[in-house]
Amino acid sequence: MIHNKTMIDQRPAPSNTLGPVAWLRANLFSGPLNTLFTLVGLYVLYLLLVPTIQWAFINADWIGTTRADCSREGACWVFVNARFTQFIYGLYPRSEIWRANIVFGGFFTLIAWLAIPRLPFKRWVAVFALVGFPIAAYVLLHGGYFDLPRVPTHRWGGLMLTLLLASIGMIGALPIGIVLALGRRSNMPIVKSFCVIFIEFWRGVPLITVLFMASVMLPLFLPSGISVDRLVRALIGLTLFQSAYMAEVIRGGLQAIPKGQEEAAAALGMSYWKRMGLIVLPQALKMMIPGIVNTFISLFKDTTLVMIIGLFDLLGIVQAALSDSNWLGFSLEGYVFAAFVFWIFCFSMSRYSQYLERKLNTGHKR
Amino acid sequence: MTQAATNTPGSSTPDLMVEMRGVNKWYGDFHVLRDIDFEVKRGERIVICGPSGSGKSTLIRCINHLEEHQQGDIVVGGVPLTQDVKRIEQIRRSVGMVFQHFNLFPHLTVLENCCIAPMWVQKKPRREAEEQAMRYLERVRIAEQAKKYPGQLSGGQQQRVAIARSLCMHPDVMLFDEPTSALDPEMIKEVLDVMIELAEEGMTMLCVTHEMGFAKTVADRVIFMDQGQIIEENAPEPFFNNPQSERTQLFLSQILGH
Repeated sequence: MIHNKTMIDQRPAPSNTLGPVAWLRANLFSGPLNTLFTLVGLYVLYLLLVPTIQWAFINADWIGTTRADCSREGACWVFVNARFTQFIYGLYPRSEIWRANIVFGGFFTLIAWLAIPRLPFKRWVAVFALVGFPIAAYVLLHGGYFDLPRVPTHRWGGLMLTLLLASIGMIGALPIGIVLALGRRSNMPIVKSFCVIFIEFWRGVPLITVLFMASVMLPLFLPSGISVDRLVRALIGLTLFQSAYMAEVIRGGLQAIPKGQEEAAAALGMSYWKRMGLIVLPQALKMMIPGIVNTFISLFKDTTLVMIIGLFDLLGIVQAALSDSNWLGFSLEGYVFAAFVFWIFCFSMSRYSQYLERKLNTGHKR
Repeated sequence: MTQAATNTPGSSTPDLMVEMRGVNKWYGDFHVLRDIDFEVKRGERIVICGPSGSGKSTLIRCINHLEEHQQGDIVVGGVPLTQDVKRIEQIRRSVGMVFQHFNLFPHLTVLENCCIAPMWVQKKPRREAEEQAMRYLERVRIAEQAKKYPGQLSGGQQQRVAIARSLCMHPDVMLFDEPTSALDPEMIKEVLDVMIELAEEGMTMLCVTHEMGFAKTVADRVIFMDQGQIIEENAPEPFFNNPQSERTQLFLSQILGH
C-alpha cells in the first residue's frame, strides 16, 4: 500500500522553539523550581559582583607614585604601577632591560606566528623557535658575549622568569614524556623497568621536595669546584617532574589507539619509529591535547614553587614587594595582580587547546 | 585428502610465494595452530574457511609476522621468516594485508593513506607516490574521494581504499583477513568485485572469508580449518560438491544450508 506519492518538503521549526525568549523559557524559567533557582542565582551574583566591581574599578586609585596617592577606599593600583617594572623583569638591571624586551618581543612574535594559521614558513619558524631563539635569548639575557655586560641568573625574576621556566619546562617535558610513555609500553624489559621506575619516582615525590633536593642536596653530590647554576637546577627538577606526568597522559592516549592502527602500519613494512611517529603518536597526541595542555597549565602554575629556593618568579617578586615598608598593607592588590597575570596565560593556553582540538578533529568528521 | 604435506621440505624456489612447514603456535596453553604444512605458488588464489576460532586469521597473520609462531619454518618469497627485524620488515614490504576492520589511518586523507608507506618506506618522491596512489584509487573506483578522510566514507569505500593502500606497495602476495565481515550486505559486492578483478589480474591471494560464492568463482584451492588444523584442501568444485571430511560436510551444511 502506498501512503505518499510525493516526498514531503522540509518545513521550518515552530517559532516558539527559536529565539532568545524561547531560550530563556527553556533554560531558565522552565518550571517553578527552576525559576526560583534562577532568581536566587541572580541575587547571589549581584551580591558578589557589585562590591568587587566597586573595589576594583569604581573606587580604585590608578594614578600616582606613592601610597599617599591612594586616598579612596577601593583598590590601590598605584602600588602595582610603581612596582610594575620589577614585577615583569625582577632585579634585572634597569639599564639592560632593553635586552629582556627584545627577548619578550621575540618570544611573543614566535608564539603568535606559530598560532596564527595564515602565516607561512611554519616549519622553519618552529625550528628557529626551538633551536635558534633559545640560544639567542640566552646570549642576550645572560650577556658576557659581544660586550654585553653579564647579568647573573639570580637577578632574573618576575614574569620573565616565570615564562622562562614554564616554556623551557614545556619544551623539555613533552619529548621526554613521549619517550617515557613509549618506553613504558615497550617489550624490552630493561627499557620498560627504567621508565616505570623513573615515572613512579618522580610522581611519588612532591615538587617542593624535588626543588629542595635540587638546590640543597645536588651540590653535595657534585665534585667540589663544579657548581650548577641554581636556575638550571630548578629547571632540570621541574622538567623531569613534569615529564613523568606528561608520560602518563601520553600513555593514556597511546592506549586509546586501536591495535589495528599499529598492525596496519606494520603490515605496510614500517619500522617501529615510523609506526609510532607517523601513525600512532599523531593520533594519540591529538586525542590527548586536553590532557597535555592541562599538564602545561599545572606546570605554568607550579613554577611559583621556585620561590622557596630563592628564585623570584612573578609571585615571588610580588610577595617580596609586599614586605617593602613603604607599601605595607597592599597585599590584596599584589596578589590580585599576580593571579590576573597567571589567569591570562593559563586561559589563553586553554582557549588555544580548544581551538586546536576543533581544527585537528578529522577522525570523527562526518 | 586430509593433510596437505605432499611436497618435500627444502629451500623454496621463487615460484613458491609462501611456504609453511610444521608450523605450531600457542596462546599461553592454548594450541592455536597445529602442524600446519602448506604452500602458495605464484599467482595462486586460495580461500581459507572454517568455524570461528579455528585459527584461520592467526594462520595468515603469521605470514607477515603480526603473530609469532613458536615452531616450524615459514618462508615468504624465498626469505625465511626469523626474529630479525630487518628481515620481518623486508617480508612485510612484499606482503599486502587487508583487515576486517579496514584499519585506515583516520588522521590522514584517503590519498595520504595510500602515499605514506611508499613515501616513508620505499622513499618515493611525493609526486610519484601521489600519481601512483591515484592510479590505484582509480582502479578500486574511489579516486573522487581522494581528499576526504576515512571517517567520511562508507565501510565498503573504506575497504576499497585499504586494498588500494596495500597495492601501492606493489606486494607479491595479498592477504585478506575477513575483508567483508564488517560490512553491510549492500557493500559486500563492491569489495568482492575489486577482489575478483585483482584475482583476474594474476595477483597471488590468500583470503580468509565466508563468502563461498567468491571462493567458487576465483579460488584455485579452498582450505578448510578446524581447531588449528588444516582438515581439508581441494579445488573448489570437489570441495563444495564432494567434501571428504565429516567436519567439512557439517560446516558447509551450516553455512550453505540457510
